[in-house]
Amino acid sequence: MKQKALYIFLLFALLLSACGGGGQTAVVRIGWAGSPDTLNPGMAILTEAYTVFELVYDSMYDLNLDGSFTLSLAESVDVSDDGLVYTYKIRDGIKWHDGEDLTAEDIAYTYNLYKDTPEYPYLNGYYTPYFDSIVANGNEVVLTLTEAIPNIESQLVFLYVLPKHIWENEDKLEFENTAMIGSGPFKMAEYVQNEFVRLAANKEYFSTPPKVDEVVFQTFENQDALVQAIKTGQLDMVTEMPNTAAETLKAEDNVEVVVGAPLAPGVTDIIFNQVDPENCPTDAGGLCTGHPALRDRNVRLAMAHATDKQKLIDLILLGLGNSGLTLIPDGLGVWYNDSIQDYEFDVAKANQILDDAGYADSDGDGVRELPDGSRPLTFRLNWPSDSINAPRMGELLSEMWAEIGITLELQAVDPDALTAQCCPAFDFDIMIWGWASDPDPSALLYVYTTEAIPSGSSETGYSNPAYDELYAKQQTTLDFNARKDMVWEMQKIVHDDVVYIIPFYDANVQAYRTDRFTGWITDQAKVELSDVTSLLVIEPVK
Amino acid sequence: MNRTRAFLKKTAWALFTIIFVIILNFFLFRVLPGDPARAGIRDPRLKKEAIEMLRVRFGLDKPVINCFESLNPIQVGSCAVNPFDTQFFIYVRNLVQGELGISYHTNRPVTDILAERLWNTVLLIGAGQILSIIFGVALGVFAAWKARTSIDYLAVGSSLVAWSLPTFWLGIILLFWGSGHGFPLAGKATPGMSSMPLLQQWGDIARHMFLPTLTYTIVYMGEYTLIMRSSLMDVLSEDYILTAKAKGLNAFQILKDHALKNAMLPLVTVIAINLGFTVAGAIQIEAVFSWPGLGSAIYEAVVRRDFPVLQGAFLLIAVAVILANLIADLTYNFLDPRVQTE
Repeated sequence: MKQKALYIFLLFALLLSACGGGGQTAVVRIGWAGSPDTLNPGMAILTEAYTVFELVYDSMYDLNLDGSFTLSLAESVDVSDDGLVYTYKIRDGIKWHDGEDLTAEDIAYTYNLYKDTPEYPYLNGYYTPYFDSIVANGNEVVLTLTEAIPNIESQLVFLYVLPKHIWENEDKLEFENTAMIGSGPFKMAEYVQNEFVRLAANKEYFSTPPKVDEVVFQTFENQDALVQAIKTGQLDMVTEMPNTAAETLKAEDNVEVVVGAPLAPGVTDIIFNQVDPENCPTDAGGLCTGHPALRDRNVRLAMAHATDKQKLIDLILLGLGNSGLTLIPDGLGVWYNDSIQDYEFDVAKANQILDDAGYADSDGDGVRELPDGSRPLTFRLNWPSDSINAPRMGELLSEMWAEIGITLELQAVDPDALTAQCCPAFDFDIMIWGWASDPDPSALLYVYTTEAIPSGSSETGYSNPAYDELYAKQQTTLDFNARKDMVWEMQKIVHDDVVYIIPFYDANVQAYRTDRFTGWITDQAKVELSDVTSLLVIEPVK
Repeated sequence: MNRTRAFLKKTAWALFTIIFVIILNFFLFRVLPGDPARAGIRDPRLKKEAIEMLRVRFGLDKPVINCFESLNPIQVGSCAVNPFDTQFFIYVRNLVQGELGISYHTNRPVTDILAERLWNTVLLIGAGQILSIIFGVALGVFAAWKARTSIDYLAVGSSLVAWSLPTFWLGIILLFWGSGHGFPLAGKATPGMSSMPLLQQWGDIARHMFLPTLTYTIVYMGEYTLIMRSSLMDVLSEDYILTAKAKGLNAFQILKDHALKNAMLPLVTVIAINLGFTVAGAIQIEAVFSWPGLGSAIYEAVVRRDFPVLQGAFLLIAVAVILANLIADLTYNFLDPRVQTE
């Protein structure tokens, strides 16, 4: 019996060595928990798709790990004095993966494609609202804007340039684009949806070509398997893992765990429904059933003082995260207002605030009532049922806020049903949810505006004319420092008004094997090992 | 004559059930809360126009059916709508033409997705079924023959344990065990294998299948063992078995010619039902081993409110289950002539 087992084992060992046999090619095996939804950049929504686009396509700018931008396809840019006309001089000799030349014509075609296709959920509405016209002129692309804006880089950085000679013959919505001809440092070699993406190095890449031969992204639906796979050397890098696995992996000999701000920093937020009945977007389906107490800043302030953020970080994230202030995360670098003094954790003070504001526990059941005694401070607390962290946070908040006479009714809700309850319906009291951020703060600052209430982007129903005015102004302020001051001021305003409680900013927790490749970039402000920045420079361990 | 009529009647019922499923399928998903045009997209800069465009593209701007704009929340609309211009009619028309539509989420034809996933699932669950039937039946027969001996108790005990093991738990345990023995932990093939010789590709798939198939076999084998054992023990207590023994037949002859044929009946039912569900995959096993089968496709489609994929997958499963039952019914006629009398 034992012999037989040994025999089977040997057979597998043989099979294994046969597989590894092709051996000289340096293949980076990356594990992730998802898979791209589609490779058509216009139709894609998931971040996995964007990770692939970053590697296979080029765009006008590259986003660096310190948050800055550098020109990529263009060697220089000339901006007109009024800030409306950008003239990009395109580099010579850039080739598509199929050998054709990449020209200014391709870039103009792509930008016009994004601009003229309103069905593209992100790239149309998201990045092109200020485009007036885009024309190719020899080796130059002339981009004319409708309004001078300060953040052209972040508008263009995700507009991947597509080959005109392929896309003009395809249906721009139905095109699956599995062959994915691009110009970037990696070429699409093989793609099986929900299984893997295999990319081959483009050794003719105009900038630095990759030092490895192939990069493979493999889908793991099970995170335990993902962790096990890097432990046993079946993977060279994992893009994500549960925080609970970080400690175990740190103890492994050949595995290095890295923690840092993600490329698209994430925010976890506690949302208060504070929509004013006058602003209720009834035309858009607004129900506005929020508890009236949440419209009172004193109540929200007391809850902020009664929230022990450090405890939440320690117990939920196992310490891997930073305490939060507003929707603008610290990962956004200069845009993050680090001068704001957060509300200190002080239960006595929180109780005092509620006492002073007239919220007393008149019937002695441990729960305070509205000043007129009509309703207890019992709030519904909901979160998306696919969230791993939210249930624990719900329980902890329930304990913390019980200290100040507030009770919660906890319930997980299907994410889609939660969207329906959330906005613009405002059919909830408190929710736990989150956002991922752009490199530019404008998108998340928009969430606080009055204009966002009927559109479904505002989760709180917060409305403050002074804030709205600043928002509009910063969008067209070209002077960097002046705009930065406004963005800081806006964060101050929403923090003072306790629009949200931001328990923490999530960290990216990734790991790589030290015995396979060296040169991973881990010393920057942000950590993203699956980004071009790392994949272009790593090389096999000799 | 009688047999043909019974056959026609059963087929008619099967067809009727499928039509019922087609109709139910459509309405089932449309009473789910949420908006497919917004599922998965939560972004402050997503314009209303873009959402509207998505709705138009997927035909979600049309009324669900006459008199109803949408079913959740119920929005009553005009009853004077052209019935041919409702989502329901378009769905039925496309179905008749063999069109399952385009997935909202992956932007691919549903038939492509289902074909890919179905093959993977049939491969995995098919292998698991065959192995568990073979081993389960063999063990069941053995246990029944050695009834009330320590071998029997061991077989029954271990079968009960295996059958009641949570599938995902057993999967995780085997996954941890396998990771130390060089078994791949995810997917059905090593990336890059497609350029290798066919034999090597099949070897690679077999390596990937090993752990999930083992999990499946262990869990389902218990069920087959228990059913086979109790059914065979019933038969073995019959008088005609005693007669056979008295005639001097050996154990093998008694089992093969006299007992097994009658004892197989309950097992055929269970196998047929299980085979029908083969198509649905085993969501837990597929999730643990990241096996790209139908089960995980369904799970994903539910999360994304991907109606076309859900409708397609549910239809496929329903047809498979109904067909399997029909075949089981008809096999009964053959196995046990008493069944056909009405």
